[in-house]
Amino acid sequence: MKFTLKYKQINEEREIPDENYSIKDLLDDLELSAQTIVSKQNGELVIEDTVIEDGDEIQLVQIIYGG
Amino acid sequence: MQCSKCGNPKVIYKREQSGQILCKDCFIESIEKKAIRTIKKEKLLDKGDKVLVALSGGKDSVTTLEILDSFRQRNIIDICAVTVDEGIANYRQDGVDIAIRHAERLGIEHRVVSLKEEYGITLDEIMQRENHKGSCTYCGVFRRTIINKAAREMKATKIATGHNLDDEVQGIMMNYLEGNTDNLTKLGPKSESKAEEFTTKIKPLREIPEREIGLYVVAKELEVHFDSCPYAMQSFRGEVSEAINQLAEKHPTIKYSTLRGYDKIKNILKNELKKDYSHGRCRRCGEPASNELCKACSFLEELGL
Repeated sequence: MKFTLKYKQINEEREIPDENYSIKDLLDDLELSAQTIVSKQNGELVIEDTVIEDGDEIQLVQIIYGG
Repeated sequence: MQCSKCGNPKVIYKREQSGQILCKDCFIESIEKKAIRTIKKEKLLDKGDKVLVALSGGKDSVTTLEILDSFRQRNIIDICAVTVDEGIANYRQDGVDIAIRHAERLGIEHRVVSLKEEYGITLDEIMQRENHKGSCTYCGVFRRTIINKAAREMKATKIATGHNLDDEVQGIMMNYLEGNTDNLTKLGPKSESKAEEFTTKIKPLREIPEREIGLYVVAKELEVHFDSCPYAMQSFRGEVSEAINQLAEKHPTIKYSTLRGYDKIKNILKNELKKDYSHGRCRRCGEPASNELCKACSFLEELGL
């Protein structure tokens, strides 16, 4: 069970660690704040509670930068 | 889970402060309606206005342009834009290019003014000088002066900036915490000056959280410059912002209540504390100034320019 993560220069395949692994869990693993990121699942905007499925492409877009 | 407004199961946003869940179309509509509500409530626009948008190419200014354009399409106002090129290598050019493309897309009058052309120096060059005052000090003053001058030259009746809810609340708290009552009187949706050379400034996005503006531009697929200024550093604003955001996690309505509270007392503050600056002229450039030199010219003289 794998998904593709796209974030800035990152474009990599990652394992889905458990059944209900959500985008919120992914953001926590990457130590990113949900307040500064919007998420797309297979090209469509989704909320962070969305569960990541096998074969998904998850794109994270940083929308808030300091300064 | 479905959209609280239309029932669409494809939801993109959960509004923590109200519990509302929204699909893409309802979210976009809610942002546009909110800005229009602010414009009407605060009487930010008059029919026939020519509004100069301070257009950096970032999410806030592009959203301001997009929303004001709906008034232009209905022939209520005219729009023009100015982009300030501070001269920051590997950063500013992308924003300038995006701003140019938006102006071309809408067919509006647009100027790009660089610090180099205007003052003979870039921000990068200033930052190489010894004893500089910090990038944001110069950038803020020079940018404000250029935008004011452009507004006069382009015969604009209003200047629209992209200040969002987070910016406004940070401004209120920073000035309060620093005891800067003078600056505290200058905040708000509309800043008018007695000096007629200073065009009225308006902030149509001041009730919209920064995060929602970021989501709006992605949802509407608007091209914007998402990047961090290389000179952004640990500023007092940054510290205040972090503290407010931390409080907002447990108290999701705190930014709104801070703004509402300020709006209730701002007229009292203005009446009690507003200084009546004597408006002389800068001996160097002729712009309105409360001292012999305006702020921009005093910096230029310090820099030996």
